Amino acid sequence: MTTAELAPVSQHPVEPPISQPIEPPADRPILDPTKAAAFPAAVLPVLRNPQLRKNVAHAIDVIQAKRTRLVEEKTDWQELRSAASGIRDEALSHLGTYLEQFEERCTAAGGTVHWAGDAADARRIILDILREEKASEVIKIKTMTSAEIQLNPFLEAGGVGVFETDLAEIILQLGEGEPSHIVVPALHVNRSQVREIFARRMGLKDLSDDPKALTAAARNYLRRKFLEIPTAISGANFLVAETGSVVVVESEGNGRMCLTLPRTMISIAGIEKVVPRFRDLEVMLQVLARSATGERMNPYNSIWTGVTPGDGPQRFHVVLLDNGRSQILAGKTERQTLRCIRCAACMNACPVYRQTGGHAYGSVYPGPIGAILTPQLMQMHHAQSLPYASSLCGACYEVCPVKINIPEVLLELRSQVVHQERRQTLRFFDPMYLGLRIANLLFSRAWLFHAAQRLGRIGLGLFTRRDGWIHSLPSLGAKWTQTRDLRGLPEQTFHAWWAAREKEAK
Amino acid sequence: MSTSSESRQQILKRIYAATGSEADQPEQAAAQWSALPRGYIQAGSMSGEARIERMVERLREYDAEVSECEPEELAAAIAAQLKASGKRSIVAPAGLPPEWLAPGYDWKIDRDLQTEEIEKAEGVLTACFCAIADSGTIVLHHSASEGRRVITLLPDWHLCVLKASQVVETLPEYFARCQTPPALVTTISGPSATADIEMTRIKGVHGPRFMNVILVRDDRSKTRLN
Repeated sequence: MTTAELAPVSQHPVEPPISQPIEPPADRPILDPTKAAAFPAAVLPVLRNPQLRKNVAHAIDVIQAKRTRLVEEKTDWQELRSAASGIRDEALSHLGTYLEQFEERCTAAGGTVHWAGDAADARRIILDILREEKASEVIKIKTMTSAEIQLNPFLEAGGVGVFETDLAEIILQLGEGEPSHIVVPALHVNRSQVREIFARRMGLKDLSDDPKALTAAARNYLRRKFLEIPTAISGANFLVAETGSVVVVESEGNGRMCLTLPRTMISIAGIEKVVPRFRDLEVMLQVLARSATGERMNPYNSIWTGVTPGDGPQRFHVVLLDNGRSQILAGKTERQTLRCIRCAACMNACPVYRQTGGHAYGSVYPGPIGAILTPQLMQMHHAQSLPYASSLCGACYEVCPVKINIPEVLLELRSQVVHQERRQTLRFFDPMYLGLRIANLLFSRAWLFHAAQRLGRIGLGLFTRRDGWIHSLPSLGAKWTQTRDLRGLPEQTFHAWWAAREKEAK
Repeated sequence: MSTSSESRQQILKRIYAATGSEADQPEQAAAQWSALPRGYIQAGSMSGEARIERMVERLREYDAEVSECEPEELAAAIAAQLKASGKRSIVAPAGLPPEWLAPGYDWKIDRDLQTEEIEKAEGVLTACFCAIADSGTIVLHHSASEGRRVITLLPDWHLCVLKASQVVETLPEYFARCQTPPALVTTISGPSATADIEMTRIKGVHGPRFMNVILVRDDRSKTRLN
């Protein structure tokens, strides 16, 4: 079917401004791991942008403070974490059973379950459903999974107009930006930037930069779309195997609008999103709200089961997405990555993310969880620099509500990267690799080590100034001295001092 | 590209290869699920009065208006709140007790009301399934007295009747009340809100912007309502 055959379902009094071709900003970050630059290079534009860094730091400080206060008031927080990680582990260790259960019960309740092996499968399934519905437009609830499979550009190219309905997603969609956080995706954009985007794209010249006015503008912009567009796409925070239900957690009410008003609903969910039983939500909802936004409970949770006659969409599809997840499941250390409930507590706590923001991670999943999830979803073919985008301080592990030991997975992935590199013949001539091979040789033989030490003293002596400090080194050494000085070697090595001391004692 | 049923087979094959098809069976799953650690607080420890106070405190933190009444005063309390609101056209689910529908208002009883009609209404009056004091959450299961999901979504003002006997302290206590899991649940913790612009909390994005709760003190009355 061609685009021309798709009858428009609704006519808007004001033509949606999204269709106007606007040149994307030249510095638009790339969040496709197959195309993005390596982390150390991707991070440079951010480090040189003080406004961006200020926006990110401010947002993170606010969420962190709220989270800390609400976690501290919870006397059973550690017990909740243990239960949450236990529930997620149990779901993963019997994932086949639970998914089949979910499918059976969702189908019995009137839903249709689709299985997508990879991103291309999922995109095709969704577009096929939309074409069957003769949908020319679709409203969307924020879903990271749809960003992962790059759904929006695909649907647009297929002739379906996509309208994001989460405030942050509207800011990004209208401003042609990219998400930099998984809970607050536009945290890098400040109010005057939002004002500029809304004024330009919604045609509101006199809009003020008061967040209240900006939010009201978004409410007006979306109200008719909610009432008129009969097809919606959502993600899922959880799937319940026992009941075949889907759970969506949100704050704004745009989710409820999308889940209630349209005639057809499509929910896309990673296969790992399942929890065994309805009761498990008593743990998951408590830890998610506190970890994600620092609230005792987020304003709205919606749980629905297939189709309810007379209430909400009468056609309901769930697309279960693998896209590399079953391979992560097979890894002993790696499996815990799939416990993630996308709360973003790890990125809020991460000293690296705080400095770099999300775009440098070259993926829709930034921060510590992105550093382990993205390379694995790419089956270690891309994003090999990400496991190094961490100081291994462990702050992410400490706050993780499902106890993912992110440093442990980072180390495992680093060893896989090294293993990959070792197999490349060109590596043999890489100065870093060569240096490490030589170090390996030197450190394993005492006499070679002492000889190298003597040589090193002579070598470094050339660069040591009179104040006893080395201010600059050539070649690889410059990487250290570019930003800091190095103390010159002392007169005596420890070994020499010890030997001399022993001699004196006799 | 493959069809969905081929994809299904392949995905499940990969999953069972990873989990071990011997171990990944319903019986093992049930046994291990039952043995999960659940050391967190399940039942609350507050007295009845403290629990109600906590609930009211949380609702007010969310800017909801709360008023209390005795069970026999309920109809009058509803009429008083409607009058104070100044609103005229009010949606009501079909299963509300008739005495709740105070005379003199443009009641729109939801027997398959069109969305446009609900959108035009100024408010909605419903009962609820239960409430959780810890987080100030109101839970709807969308029964005949709570109504379809859409009626508590579009009108800008939600007048909700909550009985004190419906208030539990903790979230697990609510789940304990769901022996048969419900098909539809909406939990409401304060009016819709966003903090997407510079983390400034703004209330009232898409859901009702105003909530008004009538708390029926059936907990201290001799004739307990259920």
